[in-house]
Amino acid sequence: MKKTISLVAALMMVSGVVAAHPFNEAFNEQRAMYGKGHSFTWNGQTYITDHPEEIAAAVVANAANATALLAAAKDQYTQVLAVDFGWTLTKNLLKSAGKALETGEFRKSMDLSAQAQYHSRMGIAQYHQSQAEWIMAVPE
Amino acid sequence: MFSFHEDKNEEKLMRKSIIKHALLGLVLVGASSMTLAAASADQIAKGKALYLNKKKGNCIACHMIPDADAKLPGNQGPPLVAMKARFPDPKVLRAQIWDPTVKSPSTIMPPFGRHWILSEDEIDDIVAYLYQY
Amino acid sequence: MKIIKSLLAGASLALVASISQAATSGNTLATVDPEADRSAMQSYFQKRFPQVALSDYVNGIYALDAPSREQWQSIEEFPPYEFDIEEGEALFNKTFANGKSYADCFANGGIGIRQNFPRWDASQGKVVTLELAINQCRKANGEEALGWKKGKIAQISAYMAFTSRDNVFDVQIPNDKAKAAYLDGKQSFYARRGQLNMSCANCHIAGAYIKIRADLPGPTLGHVTHFPVFRSKWGELGTLQRRYGGCQKNVRGVPQKTQGEKFRNLEFFQTYMSNGLVVNGPGARK
Repeated sequence: MKKTISLVAALMMVSGVVAAHPFNEAFNEQRAMYGKGHSFTWNGQTYITDHPEEIAAAVVANAANATALLAAAKDQYTQVLAVDFGWTLTKNLLKSAGKALETGEFRKSMDLSAQAQYHSRMGIAQYHQSQAEWIMAVPE
Repeated sequence: MFSFHEDKNEEKLMRKSIIKHALLGLVLVGASSMTLAAASADQIAKGKALYLNKKKGNCIACHMIPDADAKLPGNQGPPLVAMKARFPDPKVLRAQIWDPTVKSPSTIMPPFGRHWILSEDEIDDIVAYLYQY
Repeated sequence: MKIIKSLLAGASLALVASISQAATSGNTLATVDPEADRSAMQSYFQKRFPQVALSDYVNGIYALDAPSREQWQSIEEFPPYEFDIEEGEALFNKTFANGKSYADCFANGGIGIRQNFPRWDASQGKVVTLELAINQCRKANGEEALGWKKGKIAQISAYMAFTSRDNVFDVQIPNDKAKAAYLDGKQSFYARRGQLNMSCANCHIAGAYIKIRADLPGPTLGHVTHFPVFRSKWGELGTLQRRYGGCQKNVRGVPQKTQGEKFRNLEFFQTYMSNGLVVNGPGARK
């Protein structure tokens, strides 16, 4: 199971910003129908419908892990701001994650960081997708 | 009813009780369906609240639904009627909410799941609510 | 069942609004054709609303929706921006510490020139909006720049628009650099952004005159002609780029920089689309 999980994370990170990657499409299709925690097969391999950020947060809740996750989420947010496609709620998620970390609510902090990091990854994906697809919305 | 959003703990509990009360199978069928119905009512209520909440689903901004409490709906999207007939498979309806751009690339509707606007549980709640119409 | 059927018919009607023919070129400097874009935009709206005269688009949503037009007309009888025009005139005529004034910075003494903005400035190599020109004039004369979104800058812009009423918008794209800026603005207009994944076009082309709750988004054609606007929701006057930022926040995107390159290019594109329509700013909006 652990092997599967790290594989899915690696695959999604590598494919990263490319929304139309076949694995991402397959993953999204499954997640869309079944939500989290559903197993599916793609190219002969078994995967689970959890986002890599959720998988990264599914470790023991402690200060070290919460700190690392928050740092990763902040880093991703910096990256999405660099392409000018940040989302408004992400900043508050990061703030809440930071507060939860301070008050020792590690689980809460880690889940918020996971969501914030996912948001920023999707913002970057949106930037790339917009670049490629905007012309299709122009009336002719 | 919606096998895909059954609560996991509930399922576990149910399995336990099936073993315990194997002989009372018939009684159990009645009991378990009652439990499911109760969970559904809760989900429907939550789904309705999400449907109306401007900061959550805000489905009412664009979709009419024949619920007396859903006043002054917008009409950017189609009215939400005959849902079971239009979406016999609830998974298809769920996927449509999760990311409508898959089927309609030019839609104005936000991808509620793909952009994590709503949680996965919240999307299940909305499906439960929509299926009432 | 009959009700359901007619509701579904209504749904398919709404779908008519979506774009039937989408462009496949015009997304590169080599293929972009601003005049073709402008006529495609105009014919899109004229096909959708054949009863609406092209010249009436300067009135935004009120060109399309009779009930709200009536309300708006009664507001315009005692325009809420009247005070701002007077203030704007006073500010415009006030001399700077060095004895010069705005009139020295603009063609024709700054009177009746709104229709030429935003303009491509070859020496600066960028799009200059009217508000940017106002602040550049101030800085050139040793004055502090004004805030971009409201207050004095909006009042001066309102006065300058007022002196230009009925002049025909004539935004020029004189060279390839200007065309690149136009293309960038065009891309911004059609690009989805924010967590809600919406573009300007989603609401103001396909979604125009279709209800979002009780609100009716206006058509992008004629969008810029009546700015700056006194918006009831703001309770005051605001510039076009103030509204840009508000729109981006509405779709849950971190707003881009007011008077930054992206917004100036967007305004360049959007105003070009309204070439041929008249200046009717400042306006009153909900």
